[in-house]
Amino acid sequence: MQTKPTTFHFLLFIVSGLLLATLSLVWWNSSRQPQPIELIPTLTGETEYCLTCHADLPEISASHPVETFGCVSCHGGERLALNADLAHSTMRGGGNPSALSVVETSCGGSNCHSGSEADDRHHIQRVTTSVQSTYAGAISNILFTFGAQPDLTARFGIAAITDENSKTGITALQAFDPLNANHPSVQKFGEECLTCHLHAEPREGEAFARETGCAACHTTGEHNLTTAIPYTQCNACHNRGNYDLRTMTFVERTDHPTQRIDDYYQPIAQFTQCEYTLDCVDCHTRSEVMGDGDIHNDQASIEYVQCKTCHGALEELPLTKTLTDPNDIAFTLAFLNPVVDLKLGDTILITEKGEPLWNTKVLPDGTYEMIGKATKQYFTFKPVMGTACEQKPDEQESHYCHECHAVEK
Amino acid sequence: MTQISRRDFLKLAREGFLYLSAALATGSLLRFLSYAPASEQKTEFDLGSVDNYPVGSRTSIPEIPALLIHAESGFTALSLTCTHLGCTLEPNNNGFACPCHNSAFDAEGNVTQGPAVKPLRSLRIQITDENTIIAYTD
Amino acid sequence: MRPSFFHHLHPPTIPTEQARWRHTLGAGGTAVFLMLILGMTGILEMFYYIPTPEEAALSVQTITYHVPFGGFIRNLHYWSAQLLLIVSAVHLLRVVFTAAYKSPRRFNYLLGLALFILAILLDFTGYILRWDVDICYPLLTGTNLLKTVPFIGDFLHRLAIGGGEACTNGLLRMYVWHIFGLTLPVIILGIWHAFRVRRDGGIAVPPPQVRTDNARISRNELVRREVLAMFIVGIALILLSIFVPAPIAAAMTEGTTLAGEAKAPWFFLWVQEMLKWGDPFIFGILLPLGILALIALIPYIFPKPADSDIGKWFPKSNRLAQITIGLVSFIVILLTLLANAN
Repeated sequence: MQTKPTTFHFLLFIVSGLLLATLSLVWWNSSRQPQPIELIPTLTGETEYCLTCHADLPEISASHPVETFGCVSCHGGERLALNADLAHSTMRGGGNPSALSVVETSCGGSNCHSGSEADDRHHIQRVTTSVQSTYAGAISNILFTFGAQPDLTARFGIAAITDENSKTGITALQAFDPLNANHPSVQKFGEECLTCHLHAEPREGEAFARETGCAACHTTGEHNLTTAIPYTQCNACHNRGNYDLRTMTFVERTDHPTQRIDDYYQPIAQFTQCEYTLDCVDCHTRSEVMGDGDIHNDQASIEYVQCKTCHGALEELPLTKTLTDPNDIAFTLAFLNPVVDLKLGDTILITEKGEPLWNTKVLPDGTYEMIGKATKQYFTFKPVMGTACEQKPDEQESHYCHECHAVEK
Repeated sequence: MTQISRRDFLKLAREGFLYLSAALATGSLLRFLSYAPASEQKTEFDLGSVDNYPVGSRTSIPEIPALLIHAESGFTALSLTCTHLGCTLEPNNNGFACPCHNSAFDAEGNVTQGPAVKPLRSLRIQITDENTIIAYTD
Repeated sequence: MRPSFFHHLHPPTIPTEQARWRHTLGAGGTAVFLMLILGMTGILEMFYYIPTPEEAALSVQTITYHVPFGGFIRNLHYWSAQLLLIVSAVHLLRVVFTAAYKSPRRFNYLLGLALFILAILLDFTGYILRWDVDICYPLLTGTNLLKTVPFIGDFLHRLAIGGGEACTNGLLRMYVWHIFGLTLPVIILGIWHAFRVRRDGGIAVPPPQVRTDNARISRNELVRREVLAMFIVGIALILLSIFVPAPIAAAMTEGTTLAGEAKAPWFFLWVQEMLKWGDPFIFGILLPLGILALIALIPYIFPKPADSDIGKWFPKSNRLAQITIGLVSFIVILLTLLANAN
């Protein structure tokens, strides 16, 4: 029995045809996929392919260049996957790695933002203990008001937190669970009024647009991180409506503020010229806003900058400091938001806790200048000393200043 | 014009088909096998402050590997990778010897004994504003 | 022209009846074809697969997304493996439903069954080699099941994964079992199985004295039919591999090992469903082994089919065997559907 040559040739023909068809199909299919773009961040040395799809994202900040950090060291994700679902499946905090639930693995790390207090690298410790994140003051106020606790001392925060070394005397907060509360108003408070701390998702609506965690303040646009934070960013929480304590609900503003002086500020509040011209971060310092690493009772116990911090009082000039140490934190802060050219030997204003107001300078004639951190606007101002101000020396809090200096609306 | 029979034409088409698919399949197989995952070869080495290397010093830098020489005329760096097949040279009395195939080089990097033919490579050296030395292997 | 090597592997002629599609369903031949593909694509995957807990899932991602044709090769391997299980099951059912297991083919029936078990284990170990978040629970529960066996449980566990935590220690042994420990027996038993088919007189048909159809076909015709089967299966495989990617999930990292899929791979869903009923040793080991033993004993304990019935679909003389295997298949499919539904 012999093999007929035609049969054999026919089979070869079929097999080679199938092979050809397969190869062209596979080639066609792979040519539909985007060409992978690889990146080997110098920090990790581990190849990642995120830029295949995300090449057009703006650089997040000058301090986090993509060539050094890549994407994965902050965002997580499957660095080699070219399938969007798989690549994104293990991202930290969804699109926001600074969400406080994951911040320790993304922004954290001893060389990054969870270093020691001595190196001033304990940013995460500061944020998670700060009032912005614990919401401790509001919670204790409500609990006290409805008889659920005997005084105004903070016992609960949004998340449980402990700090053995807290200098404020409060070393721990328990997680606040409004469902455990007996009073219906406390429960209602839990449902309606917990949308502004750093753990919380923002309320619906463009005016409330913000992220959670670090990005709530530091992300002001698409994929950026900045310390030049405009007042509008703060207002996403701080000027978007009011609590109605009778119904225990949050009443959103319905108007769309355009003019800062008329539309933004609430009718009963009094403001001076600088309070509606400057940005919040021009006066309020890092430790006030972001916390100082200790657990505080409420907002009032961490906020301390007053009019007199910059303007002094009748019989005293504001505190100043001449920069002699090249490692002074003021230089770092000025480097991160280069609106001023700070030099060794410059004299700047400082707060009573010693925090530098690094965007100010003492001018030779005894007046002061300030550059807006977000606006880069240039301001000059004078000390109170030597003016006709008649304020008593023991009444130096800002609200006394407002009595004369509030802007007419 | 030469007449080709139907039979010959079919044979030609069939064989063309066969060889084309075989060639493509082999090509695809070789492409599959020749992929190399991206990796970063370090080409830049920070050797630390100039002060660590006084004039006249000859310092071995094992991580490159190279020999950093500080002569009166300035810094030079001699690669200690044998130009024959890439083994790392070992210093001897008056130069370097290769443990693999017995090539030898003098202190300036010239071949004194085969099988190596080419002299040792000199690495590019840069001294930064902060007075640290960077050696480049590329 | 003298026969080619490929033709030479076949007998010069065989009875026409033995080569009818409606008789063989082409299942055995297709299984051989799939195993050849699995061998070739498997070897290609080994060029890139790194069997260490840190690198395994990443190297699978590299093969899938970066190696030229790598995704296609991996999909081919995956789909061939899934099809192999289905084709093997069809082959087994065909053999029982056509009474083909009758002596002298009883021993070869056992060889075939062993090959089926090996194929299932290969599929399972191959699934584990992905080493991503979805494999941890199946590996953990599967190997813990071995521990429930009285007296030798720990020994079996060590045999399977070398002891220790499944999802941190298990990879090396799963790899070696897959590449070598299970594949080598498949090669040996597979060749033996094929050799026995020929030694036992080819595919089961009635002996010559009771045969009604004495027509024979040449090896050319046989090869033509085989190539046609390969062609059809090949096209199906290629289309599946191009358009339906094999499953993949995120790499395991510290703390995510138990975050993945809790469902067993599809061919073990029926066991997973039974495990919900109670004692794991009884429902996860004894019962499946009992079912296996029942299937293995079909040629030995059930009434012998008549010689003239061999090679005929659903003959009266082996009704009991048909009902048994039919019932087992029905229950397995039902349990699989149940497990998949919830």
